[in-house]
This record gives sequence, C-alpha cells and structure tokens, in this order.
Amino acid sequence: MATDTRTGPVTRPRTLRDARATYHTNSELAWWVFMRISGFVLIFLVFAHIFANNIATNAGTIDYEYVAQRLAQPAVRVMDSFLLGLALLHGMNGLRYSIDDYFKRPQVRFWVKVVVFTLAAGIFVVGVMALWTFTFDEMGEAVRNLGQ
Amino acid sequence: MYRGREGQWAYLLHRVSGIAIALYLLLHVFDISLVMWGPDGPFNRFLLFYHQWPFRIGLVLIIAGVVYHALNGLRIMILDFSQWGIKYQRGMWYGVLIVTTAIGIPVLFKIIPEIVGGGA
Repeated sequence: MATDTRTGPVTRPRTLRDARATYHTNSELAWWVFMRISGFVLIFLVFAHIFANNIATNAGTIDYEYVAQRLAQPAVRVMDSFLLGLALLHGMNGLRYSIDDYFKRPQVRFWVKVVVFTLAAGIFVVGVMALWTFTFDEMGEAVRNLGQ
Repeated sequence: MYRGREGQWAYLLHRVSGIAIALYLLLHVFDISLVMWGPDGPFNRFLLFYHQWPFRIGLVLIIAGVVYHALNGLRIMILDFSQWGIKYQRGMWYGVLIVTTAIGIPVLFKIIPEIVGGGA
C-alpha cells in the first residue's frame, strides 16, 4: 500500500534527503504498472467469465446447483482465484484513485478508505473460502486435517 | 469536465464504469459466496431476488461497462506504451465506442429475450 503523502507520516521531512527517503518509494509507479498488466490479463479472464455465465448460460436460470457444479471443477477454482485476486486489487486501487479525487478532507478520506478496504479484505477472505472449501462442512474437514 | 472533448468523455466513462464494476464485484463475490451455506441456505433465495428484471437490466449495464472499460483500457495501454498512440487517441476512442456497440448488440439480442421471456 502506498504511503499517502497527505495522511502518511506525521513528522514532515525537513531536508531533501529526508523527503527522498520518505516519499520516493516506487509504490505509485508499481501500482501504475500493475494496473496495466492486471488490466490486460483481466480482459481475458473477465470476458471468459462473462461468456460462460451470461452468454453460454441464461443468467436468469443460475441457481445453487449450477454454481456448485462450476466450483467442483478445479480449473474453475484456479481461474476464479486469479480473477478474484486481480479484479479486487485492480478495482480497489481504482477506487483508491477515485477516493483521493473526490474526498478532499484528510479525515474523511482516511475513514472512507478504512471502510472500503476493510470491506474488500473481508470479501476477499469470504471469496477464497467459497472457492476452496465450497461448503462449511468441507471447510471443517480441511481445518481438522490441518491439525494432523 | 474540462471543455468536454473526446478525451474527457473517455476518462469520465472509464471512471464511472470502473467504480460501478468495483462495487458490483464486492456484491457479486459476497452473494456467490453464499453457496457455502449449502443447497438449503440463503443462496437460492438471494439469486431469485437478483433474477428480477431491474437487476438483470443492471447486469446488462455492468457487462456494457466491462466491455467499454476493457477496450478503453487497451486504448490507454497503447497511449502509454507506443510512440504513435497519442496522435490517434481520438480516433481510437471512437473505435472503442464502435467495438463496444458491435459486441453489445448481439449480447442484447441474447439477453433481452431472456428477461422479457421471464427467464427462470
């Protein structure tokens, strides 16, 4: 996560040397590159996902049975895991840019980010649980197996 | 908007579609994750709720947003990484709109009858 220069360190750098050390992380550059690489990969993942579930299928008929069958396939689990991780990172970084644009007061900006990123982290955990355990019974089994 | 030329509209649509997709993504992962409660859990009730026509129209709009965001994202990558991209950015934006429409029309022909026909 980038160090926000407006909400980040409380003590301000007093010399150019300090400033370089404080602000010249390359994290914003890394995010910039990430948005392009993840965006490119997501085009293929998302189009395949939409094709499978909205074009090849009538989305109005999707039910538990359909999702259960999909999640039983290892290939779907792997693909959807990449989709989940990349889409959340790409989407939440995009929201971060937007929040920085539209919420000017540092206090408000900070709390909006806390709420959004906490929600996203929670959703990520729930998504991983659904993809890799599928039912709570299986998850209980997996946890019990870990202890042995 | 700053004097609203094509680049500004490209940016605005990219921003609006991006925010919509990100918020939809959070909701989507949450409701699909309800499969964890098993076949008798809340999953089917939730999906039946989402199968109502206003939500299906919403989903069509999200799909349209995804197609635009993907294609305009490609345009942005070309602008960033090619020597010639900036010169043709305006033309490429119209290209993005044309291809989005070209993909969108058959998708509408596929999905709208499902909604009108009642679907599930």
